[in-house]
Amino acid sequence: MKTSSVFEDPVISKSSNMMMKGRNKVLATSFMMQTLEAAAIKRNPYTIFHQALENCEPVIGLVPILRGGHLYQVPVLLADWRRHFLAMKWMITECTEKHWRMLMPERSLHELLEAFHNQGTMIKKYDMNKMTEAIHALAHYCWC
Amino acid sequence: MAAPCVFWGTAVSYRLFLGGRVSLALRQGVWKAAAAELQILRLRHTTGVTAKKNVAALKRETYTVDFIKKQIEEFNIGKRHLANMMGEDPETFTQEDIDRAIAYLFPSGLFEKQARPIMKHPEQIFPKQRAIQWGEDGRPFHFLFYTGKQSYYSLMHEAYGKLLDVEKRQNQLQAKGLFSEKTKTKDLIGSRWLIKEELEEMLVEKLSDQDYAQFIRLLERLLTVECSAEEEEFVQRFRRSVTVQSRKQLIEPLQYDGQGMAFSTSEGKRKSAKAEAIVYEHGSGRIKVNGIDYLLYFPVTQDREQLMFPFHFLDRLGKHDVTCTVSGGGRSSQAGAIRLAMAKALCSFVTEEEVEWMRQAGLLTADPRVRERKKPGQEGARRKFTWKKR
Repeated sequence: MKTSSVFEDPVISKSSNMMMKGRNKVLATSFMMQTLEAAAIKRNPYTIFHQALENCEPVIGLVPILRGGHLYQVPVLLADWRRHFLAMKWMITECTEKHWRMLMPERSLHELLEAFHNQGTMIKKYDMNKMTEAIHALAHYCWC
Repeated sequence: MAAPCVFWGTAVSYRLFLGGRVSLALRQGVWKAAAAELQILRLRHTTGVTAKKNVAALKRETYTVDFIKKQIEEFNIGKRHLANMMGEDPETFTQEDIDRAIAYLFPSGLFEKQARPIMKHPEQIFPKQRAIQWGEDGRPFHFLFYTGKQSYYSLMHEAYGKLLDVEKRQNQLQAKGLFSEKTKTKDLIGSRWLIKEELEEMLVEKLSDQDYAQFIRLLERLLTVECSAEEEEFVQRFRRSVTVQSRKQLIEPLQYDGQGMAFSTSEGKRKSAKAEAIVYEHGSGRIKVNGIDYLLYFPVTQDREQLMFPFHFLDRLGKHDVTCTVSGGGRSSQAGAIRLAMAKALCSFVTEEEVEWMRQAGLLTADPRVRERKKPGQEGARRKFTWKKR
């Protein structure tokens, strides 16, 4: 059951749950805590985390819609929970796939700080470029 | 039961008719023929009866007023007999006594409660039906009969009429200059509006959602305006009381041990873990779980946060000593069970308002989440087998 303690944050616990593998919550939470401790040098780690995720969030997403036997990728405005989920998911996949010779907390810290300053691979990779092309093509197919 | 009697009657009269016409000598043959005719008649009439019954079954069964009156008389007589059988006073034999007597005399092992034998007042068994709405000449009694929902529209008319009266009275008062803006706070907390099904039952008519919403809006408008006692009574007819949820919480009584220290015990459960906690009134925030300090028993921060939650919520972090025993479940469920036990025990040291806050925070409700079973045809509770195209 959820606690409402001062030390608990829903976003942090959600992302540490998503990072978890093989029912090992202890390890996931330890990674999260180490990342936050390292980020706490300059300013409040929670604000860094929230700001970084907000910068990574996509505004529009491509949704496959079946019309007349063809699957069209229609651009659709995403809901709040979908945006938060996608940001967290991309962040975690970035950190795991980079294959740097760095431990997980260091990698995630690096990504967080880059996203916080609106630089880095996260922002570049999931930019609106693909989306804008799709919009031009299917703007008049707005079934949403 | 009427139809079979009818056909027997006709058969008998036919037989007599036959017998009357023919002479004695041929009587045997006549009787045989009559018997054969009877059989044919019987067959014909049974088919007729079944055909008739099917058509009637499609419509609603209409119970006449006399029929229901007779049923009520039978019920009352039966109630007195039952009271005599059970050796109790027939004058003071309530419905609960009837239910108990029937359960005693006709024990049934059926699981479905509604399939067991019941003896209730006919008004509860037979659905309410309207008497015939028109006279002998075919003219309906009520002036709104042709709207289709006469009782609903007449009710709306009544309510709106009351509203107009109230407004007229207010205008008169304002003209005289005696108008005082009083806003009465009525007791709307412990009651709720009638739901659509209840209203339908009351009016014995089918309503649509929009009709119901319109009616409730009208009543609420009546409530906002200052109205007299009879109008309030009219509105109160459409309100039902609701049990206030917070007063259901059982607060454990305080106990005192040898040294005069007050403590209270309670239990908690989560998944398959069961815990019992003893919370002492004065202490320094030490928690002992199964004789071991909580720091050593729960090395994970998350579990200790769970234990801390009730105290942190009430700002009593270092003020109580706790001793608890826990068994079953895993690490997380044991922590949840202890949390529930501690919260329940804390209720006795705390004001009622704070108990209500705790209940709203979800501290006093047992977590109903249990492991979902694996279903056949699927790999797990939700996961299906890998879909292969061929």
